[in-house]
Amino acid sequence: MNRVALVLGALFVVPLLIFLAISFRYDPRAIDSPLIGRPAPTFTLAGLDGSVHRLADSKGRPVVINFWATWCQPCIVEHPILQAGARRYSGRVDFVGIVYQDDPDLIRRFIAERGAWGPALLDPGSKVAIAYGVYGAPETFFLDANGTVVEKVAGLITPQTLDRILGELL
Amino acid sequence: MIVGRPRSALVAVFLWVALWGAAAAQDPTGEAMALEALGLDSPQLVEPPAGPPIDGAELERRTQEVASLMRCPVCQGLSVADSPTDSALAMKEEVRGLLAAGYSDDQVLGYFERSYGEFIRLSPKPTGLNLLVWVAPILAILAGALLIAARMRSARPTGAGAAAASDPELDSYLERVRKEAGN
Repeated sequence: MNRVALVLGALFVVPLLIFLAISFRYDPRAIDSPLIGRPAPTFTLAGLDGSVHRLADSKGRPVVINFWATWCQPCIVEHPILQAGARRYSGRVDFVGIVYQDDPDLIRRFIAERGAWGPALLDPGSKVAIAYGVYGAPETFFLDANGTVVEKVAGLITPQTLDRILGELL
Repeated sequence: MIVGRPRSALVAVFLWVALWGAAAAQDPTGEAMALEALGLDSPQLVEPPAGPPIDGAELERRTQEVASLMRCPVCQGLSVADSPTDSALAMKEEVRGLLAAGYSDDQVLGYFERSYGEFIRLSPKPTGLNLLVWVAPILAILAGALLIAARMRSARPTGAGAAAASDPELDSYLERVRKEAGN
């Protein structure tokens, strides 16, 4: 009897352990965006100064779309990285920032202190963030010259990642 | 004179354009139009709504229903309906808007799934490998029940005393008890 119980138990426990061993190696939040390989949702949003920015105007150039906020620590860390990137790829790649659930006044103050790297667009009702499947800030989407999403980076972006992806796109 | 007239006309045209431009910039209707066009360029859902528009109590009930099937992206195991976070509130608002327009629960969930992936569903769809999640617990319960049944069947004879009679140690003990009871 004990042997039967042991075998039956092992039949359940062993596959379960294998399953857990495999799945715990992945972060469920880091799953690839289903948008990859598909046309990016296009938007028309206003910046802090009211000027209107259309994603459609970037056709023909790769685009970096970064969802950020002043309450998010990694966003503060990657701010100079994006600034350097925007300078380095100026004229070849469009850098677009979309404010993710933050107060426009705080964004304005932040940019006044640290400078901008591209337009900081306001997204009322987070409609654009939802269309991009944003889980949190920061998230960076890379679009090729045709407007297709080629990669999504969740969390802090490094200069190496930025150079690697843009190097492939240019 | 000949030179002066076109020049003054040019200045007049310039002034007119500048004034008209300034007026257009302050034109509230122009601004409203620009605001209206803000957001996503194309509608979130390309297909037409499956049903008629809804509102009032039914809209509230269905918003709550659909939101309770969706995972709040910034929480740990909470549904969009149960989460007080800004992200969840924005998503709930989006759900409400789509349902109000007449989209079905499936269409709304499908829209979110297209941008967030299947992770947005609190319970995975019962297809493919996901079936394991639905079937495995039932199989486990069945296996457990079979195990218990098998154990009980093999344990019954010993419990009934028939098998106990074959245990010499217990036999002598029982005999002593009977004897003492008989005295």
